[in-house]
Amino acid sequence: MSPEPPEVIIRVGSHAEKEYVLKLKDYLDGLIVGANLFEAAPGATASLLLAAGAKTAKLYIDPMTYAFGEYIDPDTGKVRNDLDWIKSDQIPKGQPGKKRASREKTTIREFKRSYRALAETIGWPLNEAVQKSAAVTPDLVRQAARIKIFSGSVVDYQLRRLQREFEEDEELKDFIDDMPKPAAVFAPYFYVEPTNTDAWLDVNLRLMQATAALGAAVPIHGVLCADVRHLADAGVRQRLLEAVPQTGVSGVWLWFSGFFEESASREVLTAYRGLVEGLATRIEVRAMHGGFFGLTLSKFGMRGVSHGIGYGEQKDVVPVIGQSTPTVRYYLPPIARRLGVPEIERAFDALGIKTPDDFHKKVCGCAVCKGVISTSLDQFASFGDMHFSRPTAQRLAQTPAAAKRCRFHFLLSRLGERDWVRKLSVKELATRLEQGAGTWGVQPTLKSSTAHLMRWVSVLLS
Amino acid sequence: MTARTDTASFRREADLAAPVGRFLRNRAFHLQSSELPFYEYRMDMYGYSERDDLTVAVELKLTRWSRALEQALLYQLCSDLVYVAMPRGQAQRLNSTVFKLHGVGLLAVEEGRCRELVPAVPSPLVKNHYRLAYLAMLGKGDVDVA
Repeated sequence: MSPEPPEVIIRVGSHAEKEYVLKLKDYLDGLIVGANLFEAAPGATASLLLAAGAKTAKLYIDPMTYAFGEYIDPDTGKVRNDLDWIKSDQIPKGQPGKKRASREKTTIREFKRSYRALAETIGWPLNEAVQKSAAVTPDLVRQAARIKIFSGSVVDYQLRRLQREFEEDEELKDFIDDMPKPAAVFAPYFYVEPTNTDAWLDVNLRLMQATAALGAAVPIHGVLCADVRHLADAGVRQRLLEAVPQTGVSGVWLWFSGFFEESASREVLTAYRGLVEGLATRIEVRAMHGGFFGLTLSKFGMRGVSHGIGYGEQKDVVPVIGQSTPTVRYYLPPIARRLGVPEIERAFDALGIKTPDDFHKKVCGCAVCKGVISTSLDQFASFGDMHFSRPTAQRLAQTPAAAKRCRFHFLLSRLGERDWVRKLSVKELATRLEQGAGTWGVQPTLKSSTAHLMRWVSVLLS
Repeated sequence: MTARTDTASFRREADLAAPVGRFLRNRAFHLQSSELPFYEYRMDMYGYSERDDLTVAVELKLTRWSRALEQALLYQLCSDLVYVAMPRGQAQRLNSTVFKLHGVGLLAVEEGRCRELVPAVPSPLVKNHYRLAYLAMLGKGDVDVA
């Protein structure tokens, strides 16, 4: 039986996140795994999903086909079709023993192994894109017969790839009856690149249609991977509202690159709500990378929200490469946003938070916070513990233990939020957000980080 | 001197450090250090007065006083006194009411000297666990900051 909305579906981003998934598996509504992660370590992914008990929770495998399409370079803002973002600098075969300095001179830019394997397994047009080192183009839409084959391959991948792994792995073979199966499968999808909206929308709608027509035994879902500019375009929204349900898919996952719930304008948030509301009268709607605002939209038809373990409630199609590891900030439940430890701690006095008990009542009473802040409010600082990660490091970085505390706290908070969002009315949700704005939002170190609350209230009550 | 030429005479924030350092020494903050980390921030100057048993943190900024104030408010968690120091023209032009409201001091810096436009008020928010750690970094106390 499907859980009551909103569902919280966790996206597993790496095998390092195994501990979080296993500890919280009984409380999650589902898991989603990218096909690239699967191809990077098929055996480990299969065994993780088995251990996570994804037979009972909903499992989804994101086919990641968009990675082989055109994208906008986040540095230049220009459209690129060289697939560079799924490549990495690699050492040519036969040179593994070379010293580092020498290796750096001889590295070549090659497709990441996981994406190459995915392209080879799915076949056309992804393997052709890899061979040519050029993105799939919207011309795809002209090849009706091959579109059908492509859709079939992508569905087959999601339904059979895991099974093949179980069959071929000596250790997993005995557990084949316990093998998790996808709750739904996705049609192939590509990013609706905004300078060529109509062509890419045609491609995506055709792919949804072709996949739905395959008549698979599981529900077929589409992914609408577009740009935040499309949300602001009434014409595009109207087309989506009419055309997506007509493709025959039973669900759609929304992903608007550049759409950040916390910074989006009232207009964009209203457009998002309208799209969810309109689509949800005919098909299931979920957010591929959503946060608290997405959860509140369950009152308007949003079935569920998917996000990563430490972050990923908002995601650009192409991640910014080369940034240092971000600090995992503390998720402050009363304002549904992550912030630095000192910004939050600075507000304690004014809000009458003087003891651990005050903290658990007014900030967070999750098991992690009760464990960490047990005898003194000063222990809150351990969510932000810093160290020099290497002897040569110039700057302090968050300790792995602090990052872990923040992640576990976030996940427990999110599950708690899911539970109370299920129970509350829209008006009650709005009241809670207003209370957050009225208390935390007036603190001098938080004022600039809480403007989203009243925007959300306004959109929820409009 | 106009604000523009005043700022131009300090090309880097670090150029403000020497006059501010002298100002602090005159107030008995003889132990001083620079660039001490506070979470993801770096306090431009941090000092201790043995005479008054007070710590002081200073944020140096050439422009963007509101950003400096935001940081100063955070430093009130780890220092008794907190100042923002800016070139004189900049410091004199800004509305100092908000500094007074929060007890953050404001220093106007010009060539070779430094004037206190708003006195810093001892922070009621200072946390001993942070303060002691910084005292240890300055060589005072035996607190293990590792």
